[in-house]
Amino acid sequence: MQYDVCIIGSGAGASPIAYTLSKEGKKVIILEKGDIFNEKDFSKDEITNTRKDLYNPNLKDEYHVIEEKIDNKWYKFPTYETGWSFWNGNILGGSSNFMSGYFHRLKPNDFRLKSTYGKIKGANIEDWPISYDEMEPYYDMVEKVIGVSGEYTKYKHAEPRSSKNYAYEKLEEHPVVNLIDKACKKLNYTSYKVPRAIISKNKDNRKPCYYSNYCGSYACSSGAKGSSRAALLQPALLSGNLTIIPNAFVFKLDTNKDKKIEKAYYFTKDKIEKTIKAKLFIVASQAVESSRLLLNSKNKDFPNGLGNSSGQVGKNLLFTGGGIGSGVLDKSILKEKKLFQTGLFVNRGLKDWYFTEKFKGGTIDFLFEHANPIRKALISSKDENGNTLFGKKLQNKIYKTFTQSKTLNFEVFTDWLPNDDCYVYIDEKYKDKYEVPVATIKIGAHPQDVKVGEFLAKKAKKVLKEIGAKNIQSSISPLPSANLQAGGCRFGDNPKKSVLNKYCQSHDISNLFVTDGSFMPTGGSVPYTWTIYANSFRVANYIKDNYTFL
Amino acid sequence: MKRRKFIAISATASIFLNSYLNAKDIDDEVWDTIEKVQNILFPKTAKMPSAKQFGSVDYLKQNVNHKIFDKDDLKLILEGAVVFKDTFPNFFKENKNNKLKIIEEANRSKYGSLWINTLVNYGIEAMLSDPIYGGNKFQSGWMALKHKAGNPRPKKKYGAKVAI
Repeated sequence: MQYDVCIIGSGAGASPIAYTLSKEGKKVIILEKGDIFNEKDFSKDEITNTRKDLYNPNLKDEYHVIEEKIDNKWYKFPTYETGWSFWNGNILGGSSNFMSGYFHRLKPNDFRLKSTYGKIKGANIEDWPISYDEMEPYYDMVEKVIGVSGEYTKYKHAEPRSSKNYAYEKLEEHPVVNLIDKACKKLNYTSYKVPRAIISKNKDNRKPCYYSNYCGSYACSSGAKGSSRAALLQPALLSGNLTIIPNAFVFKLDTNKDKKIEKAYYFTKDKIEKTIKAKLFIVASQAVESSRLLLNSKNKDFPNGLGNSSGQVGKNLLFTGGGIGSGVLDKSILKEKKLFQTGLFVNRGLKDWYFTEKFKGGTIDFLFEHANPIRKALISSKDENGNTLFGKKLQNKIYKTFTQSKTLNFEVFTDWLPNDDCYVYIDEKYKDKYEVPVATIKIGAHPQDVKVGEFLAKKAKKVLKEIGAKNIQSSISPLPSANLQAGGCRFGDNPKKSVLNKYCQSHDISNLFVTDGSFMPTGGSVPYTWTIYANSFRVANYIKDNYTFL
Repeated sequence: MKRRKFIAISATASIFLNSYLNAKDIDDEVWDTIEKVQNILFPKTAKMPSAKQFGSVDYLKQNVNHKIFDKDDLKLILEGAVVFKDTFPNFFKENKNNKLKIIEEANRSKYGSLWINTLVNYGIEAMLSDPIYGGNKFQSGWMALKHKAGNPRPKKKYGAKVAI
């Protein structure tokens, strides 16, 4: 059988295609590397979700190689040695199951960063081939279809919106937001109310948020979180036109004599090789794995990998720059009953410096530390020199950490400037359990990322100080956020400098689209998920309208 | 002298422990050593349960044979227990204060501190993981720390599907 559309992956970049086209009557098949789970299967089990990371492959079986610069020399570290996983959810719905759902749109000038700030030495910034205005209807669609809750904040960098308010009312908030708002007012900052991809009332088969206190890194048991699995694939299955094959690791796409993709090769979990034929192929396996697949699919007609006549596949990989910071709140700041309330959201951020006159700034989000008690106690188990405590000292420190104070964190998001030292490539020496070459990821960062991160961290720390937090600290790092990936197949009008055209269609192969975050030439100073969803809806609309001609 | 012996033995212990690790059952004596050491690492206090109370060894016993349990950690835990018992045979007869001093002495060697650090890490996992894994008896760890568990709690271990 030949399907109309074969989609590799099932996350935020994949599912809008499946949702839109299956409802249009197209026969769509998803090949998902992981298994299918549903709300009943998910729990707040720290061992499964974070300690043992069981929704991702065992790194001894499937891994990445990280190439990192240390003392001016580049070294390669397979992740099975370091434990630094770059997998972000190998189940139906991918990483969207495990996101925190901090949803930020890009802004008009994010689409023309080069035109706005000019060239930056050592960075490969390019304007996008589309404008914010072309993306806006799809951002709006995401608010309604995926479900975005919140309260609109008017501030100087606010992007234009076609809907006045978010589709869902704001989630319930922790009393600490009053302290943040007050501190911001005193500092003359705008306390930005962060929208979330978490619904506050019923939507179709999805129940509203029930404030479990375990959100980020955990899949949602009510369907409130806007995972692609809950929001798009479950309704798409009702069309009767969507087939999902789980545990299908696609390792190669092959082309025919017309230089179009003819079939996808995949391994079942028992390492049995199978193929699927389709008219169109959509690659959306998250940026690193999408580049890996295209590079590993090289053949005599495409000796450098599929869609890679420009030599740009894998290049200009993006993460988000920035880092984290924290301050400790004790009972002198908020009464015990209020301070230790669990499950309520902080949903506050700062975007006053998203753009500055001289340089692109970024975003700050405030949040309480994750609820994970094992992680929290493990951090407590060390003294100030990093030595392991034991005996009464250990027990007393753990007790004090849990019962006397609470840590308010902040996260800083800056643009990860695309550069020549950050890309995906294949080193045939490293292979996974299927004997398929793994992705090697070179993770060089541009020095400006850290400078901007430190600039923003200072602003966030002022808020914590104004609140009265103790032990305020921050850590801004040039190391990437493994869970926020984009780039590698950037889109553009020039086939010599980009992999995809403005509709995320390969310049070289007309029936190949890449619809995860790979298309992004620059990423904005925010988590990417909202933009990936919106862009995938945009591409789906293009495919729907032009299907006959593709 | 004892510390030197601890190091010297640790360098050779893995030879006989390789076969020992392959055995289906681990000697009760080894578990006994681990339990007594963890009970000093996690003593009962006015606010906190002891390792024995929260079931630190039960947690290990119920999980070490699972495929995801780190085999290097398991080897270190068991090997260290054998070496510790051999190096400090009087540990078991001493009072709590002297037991703590012996552990402090063991902790001064690189090998000993690695072993103790591993026992602390797994002790914390036992104290605060869901009771379905065999530790955190009667939710004693969560209750001591006034920790509200996430809802829903797991019905099956290791992320297994509820209904297949």
